[in-house]
Amino acid sequence: MQSHHTEHLYKILVIGDLGVGKTSIIKRYVHQNFSPHYRATIGVDFALKVLSWDSDTVVRLQLWDIAGQERFGNMTRVYYREAVGAFIVFDVSRPATFEAVTKWKEDLDSKLTLSNGLPVSTVLLANKCDQGKDGFRNNLTKMDQFCKEHGFVGWFETSAKENINIDEASKCLVKHIIASETDILQSVEPDVVKPQMNSSKIPSCSACLKF
Amino acid sequence: MAADLPAEFDVVILGTGLPESIVAAACSRIGQRVLHLDSRNYYGGNWASFTFSGLQSWIDEYKQREATTDEPVTNKEQILENEGIIPLNQRDRTIRNIETFSFSKSEDSNIVEEIGALSIKPELLNTNPTDGDQPLQESPAPEQPELQEPQSESVEHQETTSESDQIPGANIAPNSEGGSTTDAEPNAAKVCQTESRKSITYSDIVREGRRFNIDLVSKFLYSRGLLIDLLIKSNVSRYTEFKNVTRILTYHNGRIEQVPCSRADVFSSKQLSMIEKRTLMKFLTFCADYEQHPEEYQDYKDSAFLDFLQSKRLTPSLQHFVLCSIAMVSKNTNTVDGLKATQHFLRCLGRYGNTPFLFHMYGLGEIPQCFCRMSAVFGGIYCLHHSLQCLVIDEDSKQCKAVIDSSGKRISCNYVLVEDSYLSEVTCAQVQYRQISRAILITDCSVLKSESDQEISVLTVPSEDGRQNAVYMTELCSSTNTCMKNTYLVHLSCPSVKATAREDLEPVIQKLFTLDADGGE
Ligand SMILES: Nc1nc2c(ncn2[C@@H]2O[C@H](COP(=O)(O)OP(=O)(O)O)[C@@H](O)[C@H]2O)c(=O)[nH]1
Ligand SMILES: [Mg+2]
Repeated sequence: MQSHHTEHLYKILVIGDLGVGKTSIIKRYVHQNFSPHYRATIGVDFALKVLSWDSDTVVRLQLWDIAGQERFGNMTRVYYREAVGAFIVFDVSRPATFEAVTKWKEDLDSKLTLSNGLPVSTVLLANKCDQGKDGFRNNLTKMDQFCKEHGFVGWFETSAKENINIDEASKCLVKHIIASETDILQSVEPDVVKPQMNSSKIPSCSACLKF
Repeated sequence: MAADLPAEFDVVILGTGLPESIVAAACSRIGQRVLHLDSRNYYGGNWASFTFSGLQSWIDEYKQREATTDEPVTNKEQILENEGIIPLNQRDRTIRNIETFSFSKSEDSNIVEEIGALSIKPELLNTNPTDGDQPLQESPAPEQPELQEPQSESVEHQETTSESDQIPGANIAPNSEGGSTTDAEPNAAKVCQTESRKSITYSDIVREGRRFNIDLVSKFLYSRGLLIDLLIKSNVSRYTEFKNVTRILTYHNGRIEQVPCSRADVFSSKQLSMIEKRTLMKFLTFCADYEQHPEEYQDYKDSAFLDFLQSKRLTPSLQHFVLCSIAMVSKNTNTVDGLKATQHFLRCLGRYGNTPFLFHMYGLGEIPQCFCRMSAVFGGIYCLHHSLQCLVIDEDSKQCKAVIDSSGKRISCNYVLVEDSYLSEVTCAQVQYRQISRAILITDCSVLKSESDQEISVLTVPSEDGRQNAVYMTELCSSTNTCMKNTYLVHLSCPSVKATAREDLEPVIQKLFTLDADGGE
């Protein structure tokens, strides 16, 4: 039997308070590097990670960082549009960033649903786990409960610095996206025009369309 | 939260409409520290698009604002001795005379018109899933404005008519003379067809309200022009998705016809005679590079384009097609301008499809947000629902050197850009405003049926006596992601002539659409 090669493109949002490590996680995951230097405002727009999911499935993850809007949570609709999954990130060394998690989750669910009306799969990341997490330790046992209550499909302790658990968290998210996708009609809208530098994608005979 | 705003920026921009957003992206791109604000809690200002319930909240808010008066807030403490201030408006008067109608089979349809009395809850604009389980009672619950139109079936259509001052400051305002840029065509449309097929009820619309992205200003883009070039060059196009307009329609001899505009269309047209086809082909081929053949139009340089068309032996139908739907100019336009417009239309054909126009998926309101996203990626700081009380002017240099934000905080800056609806009437006393009448309709069938129910159409309705301006209509199908399945979203617009948008547009609407009999008209 011939194997059918399928490719999926998933837009994933990476959300959370300022300084929790969103940009670092994306850079670690996609570019395999980490920089301790903090530049609050410069994020990445989106970055692409290609996964060989199984022998006949390729998954392309488009990870969308949040940019200068994040301070006040005023993200544009461009950001949410057509996303199918999300990471919500907090910093284990700063309890306030964990408190913001519910706010981010509610905001996400109000602005984005799948075409069947259900919320998108979301994984919670407890980042900077390489650092002292005394403030957070006690809560670990409660995390499973927290995820259930707030509709996260899972959670991971991660470190962008030490490259801990980022692959695992991503696998978990993709698994849930694929599972929820079976009930969504994967409808790719035909005839969408994406203007680009040297594309003059002409659907049929160009001479017939022109003068 | 605004307390954490830095006290110094290079550029402060107030208003998130298209012009302001383009400037924000450009400034961030070259490394300026940009603070971009909007007094509303949504992006786009008067360029925004809304879900169905979002639009209703917006209407309610506007009606309320019309009733209140503006009290200037100014915080004098932060002003030094050699400084003056320019106070800013705390509310926008750009849009006026909003009315909503619905055409329904059932008697209680006028309840819909009463929703204006309710209070607004601005958060609803962004989010709120319009769930279908609203209570079936009439008492308007002020906390939940969008649950309020309780009648269950019946309402077929909803129309919003508004009239807006166009803003010259935001010079991309629909002004087609400018040629070039955004040449968005102000469009318009409205529909009301009811043949009781799978009829869409008002509650269907409410239930599926999130599928709607209803633009306050509907425009489309020429597939070549400054805006599309800018999108590509700036890389903002990576966030954009367009659909090609599929049909150009015109209203001629009392009915709607499709305009053949490409070579293939002309050949396959059934409405044109052989001679007409040949004449039109020849004429359009000439227009494509008319500058090369000055002898052809030399004698008509100073006459009307229409006279020139007659001299070229175009039949009345062909004259109408070229004048109204291809060049989209008026009877008085001179020959050279008419030729230029025709040439531009032809040059845009075939770049992305068989008409020259592109419409943005999810509505025009996405485009300013795409520029905002770009600005944010390059460090721009965004703060919605946050405005400015005033600009601080240095008396000696007469330069604006700071602003006071709505929380009373002083923010110094080198440049300020303010969308002009924030400026007081006194400040804008010298500015001449033009008004545009608009109508938005949700309809259940196309103005001109075709094999596909997914046509995106543009229609020009010339004025009957030729003295007024044409009315432009855009009809959007659900695959543009601006309306729910089995409906069309129609935008109509024309320069205002009469006192209200309703008076300007109602005659055209009655010509083009069948309003359900029991609903009123
Ligand atoms: N120790 C440690 N520092 C981290 C980790 N992830 C990010 N950081 C640091 O935290 C700061 C903020 O990270 P950044 O990715 O810019 O956060 P963002 O604002 O959420 O994008 C930077 O100085 C990073 O170097 C991590 O896993 N461990
Ligand atoms: Mg970042």
